[in-house]
Amino acid sequence: MNDETFLMSLIPGLGIAKGMALTLHRFFEPKVTIKYPEVTSEIIPKSRGRLQLLYDEWGSLKCETCFQCAQACPIECIDMGGMDTRGRFHVHWGPPETYGERREESALRRSGRPVPDPAFVTFAAVDLSGLDAILESFDHDPAQMLLILEATQAAYGYLPVAALKRISEKTGAWYAMIYGTASFYSHLRFEPAQAVHQAAAVDVHRPSETSYLTALDAALGRDAGQLGQPARA
Amino acid sequence: MTPGSWASRPERKEMVELLATPAAWPAILLGRAQAADPTDLDAAVRDGAFDGLRRAIRDLGATATIAEIASSGLRGRGGAGYPAAEKWRTAVSIEAPRRYAVANGYGADPACHTDRTLLVRDPFAIVEGLAIAAFAIGASEAFIAVRAEDTDVVAALATAIGEATEAGFLGPDVLGSGRDVFMSVRPVQGAYMLGEETVLLKALEGKRGQPEQRPPYPAQRGLLGMPTVVNNVQTLAAVPWIIRNGAAAFAATGDPASPGTVLVQLRTPGGDGIAEVPLGTPLGEVIALGASLPAGRSLQAILVGGPSGGLLPPAALDTPYTFAALRAAGAHLGSGSIVVVDDRTDLVELVGVLTRFCSSEACGKSIPCRIGTKRLAELVARREDGLARPTDDVLGQDLAADIVASALCDHERLATLPYTSGMRYFASAFDCASRPEPAATEAPR
Ligand SMILES: Cc1cc2nc3c(=O)[nH]c(=O)nc-3n(C[C@H](O)[C@H](O)[C@H](O)COP(=O)(O)O)c2cc1C
Ligand code: SF4
Ligand code: FES
Repeated sequence: MNDETFLMSLIPGLGIAKGMALTLHRFFEPKVTIKYPEVTSEIIPKSRGRLQLLYDEWGSLKCETCFQCAQACPIECIDMGGMDTRGRFHVHWGPPETYGERREESALRRSGRPVPDPAFVTFAAVDLSGLDAILESFDHDPAQMLLILEATQAAYGYLPVAALKRISEKTGAWYAMIYGTASFYSHLRFEPAQAVHQAAAVDVHRPSETSYLTALDAALGRDAGQLGQPARA
Repeated sequence: MTPGSWASRPERKEMVELLATPAAWPAILLGRAQAADPTDLDAAVRDGAFDGLRRAIRDLGATATIAEIASSGLRGRGGAGYPAAEKWRTAVSIEAPRRYAVANGYGADPACHTDRTLLVRDPFAIVEGLAIAAFAIGASEAFIAVRAEDTDVVAALATAIGEATEAGFLGPDVLGSGRDVFMSVRPVQGAYMLGEETVLLKALEGKRGQPEQRPPYPAQRGLLGMPTVVNNVQTLAAVPWIIRNGAAAFAATGDPASPGTVLVQLRTPGGDGIAEVPLGTPLGEVIALGASLPAGRSLQAILVGGPSGGLLPPAALDTPYTFAALRAAGAHLGSGSIVVVDDRTDLVELVGVLTRFCSSEACGKSIPCRIGTKRLAELVARREDGLARPTDDVLGQDLAADIVASALCDHERLATLPYTSGMRYFASAFDCASRPEPAATEAPR
């Protein structure tokens, strides 16, 4: 409290007088009725209106669970919980402590799934001792997350949910943050390698690069795989 | 490691041959490219490697080193052509407990192997250039980010860094300067966007690879919040040459507004090749380095800049290969890729391939990126199928302008180039009346 506010606080009834002044001011203000929708009221530029998840015209959810909104929300009122795109496991935003578990449940209810969700609890058990060694070698440092995830995938063949949870617990990074990282890079995967992956193992490009190069060569009228041939015929 | 794990993939084996260039063209980047063993430090030192670092530390000092780079006029080779010295000065001007220097060797364009060729053929040039940059800005940690798939690049750099450290060119108290420069290779993989500098820094921090709003630029607030200089590997490889031969010698090469040379990958119907080309060389002369077109074929267009490049007509063959001239023509220097398109190619299909790739690689962070590029790809697809709507011309124009105006990062802005340049120069090819009749059974895309 600085000197001025201290002195003001000594005047009795000042607070009440201030409050009443505001009330009286509002009371005698002209009343306004905006004839919406004929007249649209001015909305502050930062207003995002009512938050809603929208579908595009093909019927797929526009939200791609990037958690940007939850990350940006200053009071953490945005929580997203739901199944991942393959319907296999839960993702949600929030700290990994018990409070997070409660929010997870509430998210389940809101997305209309039973609690506890069978899809959520029946993950194959994995032996996490190898992971603990990996985490130890990276000093449990969340800034090394990509390297931790790559090492985990190298050890298990994929990123099991139980492993992601353990990484979250041990590094203190939020589960959703880790999921956001893991789901962005195309070399990281959440399920054991499928036949498609194995067939692609001889390929050195990411699948989207391979199809781009093939389509490019087709459009140019070149045979695929001509790359690397000298330009001088 | 299990089969199919990306990390266990074999290296990207394709190596593109170097094309013969006129003897009068300077060899700034590929001067040591013919070395028998590019990771042999003694041989490289005999050829002048680390002379630049020695001169920067012993004779010039940090401030004069930056001044030398400034007067050479060196511009960034990563695509945007930003003056290198200005970036370094910004990083120096900001009070910070630490600074970082990062070499961007990711090479995002899958069809362009210029950076990778340089990294394999002369790893010491990048190590030395990055060491000079780190010394000049006062960074004690430096990273070379490369594609993890390129295991040969990773190995060559690891060897080069190890040898340079052993010889005292890196590590604690570099050449008695009192400054430390610890360097390491950081293999990254899994997204096209990793080439963009803010995304690359996110990956180095172990985060989801989505770009950040700029400003603040990485030189102001980059890796772990510290001032960070990110330079393309070709930019850095030119630095030792400039310090060794003087800024004036460099400024005399290439184009007065953007001196020096760049690596270009030509992709022609006859094959591929890489060449070191002085900036300002007319496009036609660059293309003449490669194979001539198959008999009976004529030149239809030139795609300059990679997947987000612009399509230029044969009339643009005398456009000088510089940042400004290419942008004015509706293309950009980009990855250094130049694709020769002959008259067999359906340009609308080509634009479709490029736009779809750009759209599918967009990160999803902003609306122009997530939805804008997708709508643009759909619009081109309608044209490919001969099903364009009457409003599509105006819609495409507006959409492209809106994407450019509201984009978060350069990727969305550039992703509009194939379409806008196609419409600008090849409007008749895009006219639906000239398209083949859509097959009756085909559902609209
Ligand atoms: C979509 C996209 C991809 C990029 N890919 C690369 C790349 O592969 N290599 C690179 O050096 N710069 C790339 N850049 C440019 C970088 O963001 C950055 O400007 C550059 O590394 C800075 O180095 P310079 O100043 O030496 O040019 C890319 C930019 C965008 C928008
Ligand atoms: S998670 Fe991402 S895509 Fe989904 S609503 Fe939030 S910001 Fe939008
Ligand atoms: S690619 Fe998504 S914001 Fe630029």
